[in-house]
Formats: sequence, structure tokens, C-alpha cells
Amino acid sequence: MVVKNLPGILLALAACLIPLVYGGNGYIMGLMVSGLIVAGVALAWALLGNLGGMVSFGHAAFFGVGAYASALLSAKAGLPVPLSLLAGGAVAALSSLAMLPALRLSGPYFALAILAYAHIFKILATELSWLTGGSAGFARFPVLPTIAGIDFSSRIGSYWLLVVMVGLCLLAYRAVKASHVGTALRAMAESEDATRVVGVNATLLKAWMLLLSAFITGLFGAMNAHIINFLEPDYAFSGTWSVLPIIAAIFGGYRTILGPVAGAVAIYLFDQLVAKAILPVGHQIILGVLLAGMILIAPNGLFGLFGKKKTGAAHAAA
Amino acid sequence: MLRLEDVTVRFGGLVALKDVSFAMGAGEILGLVGPNGAGKTTLFNTISGLVRPRSGNILFEEREIGGMALHARARLGLGRTFQIPQPMHHLTVRENLTVAQVFGAGKSDPARIDEILQVMELAEHAERDAATELALQELKRLEIAKALATNPRLLLLDEVLAGLESQAKRRFIAKLRELHQRYGLTIVIVEHDIETISTLCSRAVVLNFGQVIADGAPDDVFRNPAVVESYTGTADA
Ligand SMILES: Nc1ncnc2c1ncn2[C@@H]1O[C@H](COP(=O)(O)OP(=O)(O)O)[C@@H](O)[C@H]1O
Ligand SMILES: [Mg+2]
Repeated sequence: MVVKNLPGILLALAACLIPLVYGGNGYIMGLMVSGLIVAGVALAWALLGNLGGMVSFGHAAFFGVGAYASALLSAKAGLPVPLSLLAGGAVAALSSLAMLPALRLSGPYFALAILAYAHIFKILATELSWLTGGSAGFARFPVLPTIAGIDFSSRIGSYWLLVVMVGLCLLAYRAVKASHVGTALRAMAESEDATRVVGVNATLLKAWMLLLSAFITGLFGAMNAHIINFLEPDYAFSGTWSVLPIIAAIFGGYRTILGPVAGAVAIYLFDQLVAKAILPVGHQIILGVLLAGMILIAPNGLFGLFGKKKTGAAHAAA
Repeated sequence: MLRLEDVTVRFGGLVALKDVSFAMGAGEILGLVGPNGAGKTTLFNTISGLVRPRSGNILFEEREIGGMALHARARLGLGRTFQIPQPMHHLTVRENLTVAQVFGAGKSDPARIDEILQVMELAEHAERDAATELALQELKRLEIAKALATNPRLLLLDEVLAGLESQAKRRFIAKLRELHQRYGLTIVIVEHDIETISTLCSRAVVLNFGQVIADGAPDDVFRNPAVVESYTGTADA
């Protein structure tokens, strides 16, 4: 039991130790906060890929929608920030409904459809300037509140909030994966007809995964918005929010549950601390090289190495 | 129970089924026979929802199901096996049955899964990976077990007896009779062996080139000259 959960226990320990060691270092804590934001999106992306069998290049759409929804609802409708964060996730999930027709598309076509879809939202956020401030940006919305004496707008406070939220999402992901729905989705990946013929509504289950993934992504987009406290379309809908989580998830092992989270923090810190120092401009290219190397050396990702190989199944446990 | 009215299926220029009509009552065991390529599997695919008919009606318990999705028909009580077994990949035998039960029958009843595993002689393989760790005859029994787990009232069996030597076949026929009784099933079975059809079925429908050429008591049907002609030399193909 302990051995099986060892990677998770080690990660939780590391999450607790980091503020003890670096708590006074605002720069490092800021990087950790951003790394955890990417971790949440990477987790949501991997959930959709792993359970729903869909590769998305458009998670920036959900991220941006969640960010704008929460910022606008808290600023203009006076919603308390804890509620507006959830509403951000909910609106992102709602916006994913527009993607439902694309669920019938096969792999590459779904990927392209969602890419186009992400772009539409960026254009909307830019054009609806009476609401969003357009490309000039939007800044006048509340920061994360202080609850029970914890100031969540501080670096440490944000850090703990994100650790808890990532932890909750990990548990949700694990619960879905272990449920009957998760089992049916696992079967669907390679035996869709055989699964549907026993009564599984494949499209509906995939739609639920898209909704859940969009909700989590929107939630992290919303939290990020209130932490940064400034939004502009180019930032909120930046392709970075689509690409970085993919690199992180593949790097950490998208088949595993913890891999994308650990991968995200590792990749983000590496990018900011190492790659930027080597190549101040175009440092992302180093990530690309790293990713290529990773796929060649350990195609199941870092955390895939922990997973025991099951006969015939490429699904590593974590 | 099941009624087909002028069902026609085309694949491009090929007419796989042409104006197929027949009806069957609850509790019947109907043998569906005909040479290879006659359209038997296509008929199953059409009834279960994998193939859309060009025209015609399919009624299950007086309800038109021709436009219904595959999964919805399974939930109505329509179970089937695949001629070439299609286990759900990456799942154990038990997980295969559990998914079929939870989604097909809308309940979770592990005791009944155990019973089906027992009846279909799969209990010792329950924890094996279905797609990679079963022999062909075990896969065929899993096909039936999966269908049973959805709690069907109508069961379509596609050549589940093929490849069995005569003693195993007799045992399996007895098994099918037991299932028929125990679960109150209505069964359509595709089978080439005339003797099997005669012992197991109260009725036989013969397809040839996508058309029904005979329908009646097995002994009468197999004496029908048109059937004999369609069958000569192809029965074991
Ligand atoms: N999905 C399909 N696409 C094109 N042709 C098909 C398809 N399924 C079956 N056929 C054709 O339909 C005819 C009937 O096939 P089938 O129903 O498998 O016959 P049977 O089960 O009686 O041997 C065959 O000529 C076969 O090649
Ligand atoms: Mg056939």
C-alpha cells in the first residue's frame, strides 16, 4: 500500500517542504505558484487524453474562459471570489459544450477543431471590449481573499491554495479512473464497438470527460487570473496554456495520474531557472529538445517508470 | 418479440440484405442458416445497430428500434455475440462482464457476475486480461457471458459453436438450452451444422444472397430443394 503510493507520498512531502525551505524567497514561491497552475492544466489535459482518448491542442480556450468568467463575475456581478472561481470552472465547462459535435471526429480532426475553437475565444475576448476591456486588458477585479486568517493573495497563501486544489483534482481524477466509467473508458480506447454493444454510451462518457477537463482547466485559469490580477486576451488565451501542459504531461507520463503534475512543476522550473539562463530568447526550444529526448529514452514519461507493466496493456498504474 | 419488415441493407453497390422479413415470438430458438456471405452477420449487425438499413422496419417488443443507437438497443434487452470475438481490451474477464452489467443492465450485482462466470466456465479465468490471455473457445464463451451480463431478453449468437468437435458441441448445445431456460431467453443462432439446428431450434430461417429463401420447421426447411441447392458444397466453406 505504502510502496504503491510512494510517488504520491513523496510528492506531498515535497509540496510541504518547499515553503519551509523557500518560504522567504518570493521569486521561487512565485515560480512554484505558476508551476502549479500549469500542473492543474496538465492534469486536466491528461485526464481528457487518458480517459476520454482525446488529444487537445486547445486547452488555452478553457483556461482563458475560466479566467475571464471569474474576473468578470467577481468584478461586475459582485460574486465572492471563492464562488467566482468555481463559476469560472463551470463557464469553461459550459463553453466546452460547443465542442461536443467535434467528439465524433477522429483523433487529428478533433485536435484541429479544438485548436480553431481556442482561437475563436481569443477573438471574442478581444472584440467584446465593452465587457472585457479588449486588448487593452482588464485589471479591476478582486484578488484572492483572506479566509480564516490565511491571506490567499500572498505567495504562500496562493501556493497552499494551489497545492490543495491540485490535490483535490488528483483525487477526483483517480476516483473517475477507478470507477465503472473509468473502466468503460479504458475499454473504449481500443474496442469501441465491443463497448457500445454492451450498452455503453461512448459519446456521453467522452462528453463528461471533456466537461470535467474543461472545468478543471477553467478553475486553474480563474485562480491564475486572481493571482496575477491582470488579464489580456493574448495572455489568457495564449497558446502556452495549450502547449506547456502537453509537454509537462508527456514529460511526466500522461498515462499516470501524478506524472503530469510532477512533470509540470519540473518543466516549468527548468524552463524558468535553467533554459532561460542559457537562452534568454527562445528558451522554449530547449523544452522541445528535452521532450524529444524524453520520448526517445522513456516514452511512458518519468512516472511511467514507476508503473508496473501489465500484459498487453499500456496503461501504467500510478 | 422481434419483427423485421422488408429490411434492406446495401454496402455501396452490394445488396447485403434484400427485403428480409420474419417475426419471432418470445422464448423461441430460431436457427439462422445460409452459405458464407449470405448476410447472416449483417442481419445481426442491423438488428443490434452497427449497420443502418437502407429501408424497412425493425421492431423489438413492438417498438421500432431501427433508428436507435447501438448502446440504447443493448439497454432495451438486446444482446449479441460477435462471430470474431471482440473482448473489451485492457480489461480483465471480470471487468468485461462488470462493464456490460453496469451499463447494459443498469445495475451492479457481483453475485450475478460470479454466476455467469460459473455458467460460462470462465471462473478460473476471471482475473485474466481478456484480449491477450484467453484461448479462442474461451473468448467465444466470453462473448456469450458479456451478452448475458447485460440482462438480455433477446440473444443473437453468431457461430458460437463453430470449431467445436462433436462431443464438446453436444455439451455446448445443452449449455445453450440451460441458458435459454434459466434466463428466459429468446435466441437467434447462426450455425452451419444442420443437425445442430434440428436438435436445438424449433424453427429455421434460411438466407441466400441476402434474401430469405425458406422459413419453417428445421426438418421441412432442410428438405426444401432451394435450400439444398444453396447449401450444396458450401455448408462447410
Ligand atoms: N461492413 C461491410 N462493408 C462492406 N461489405 C460488407 C460489410 N459487411 C458485410 N459485407 C458483405 O456483405 C455480404 C454478407 O456478409 P455477412 O453478413 O458477413 O455474411 P455471413 O455472415 O452470412 O457469412 C458479404 O458479401 C460481405 O462481404
Ligand atoms: Mg457471418
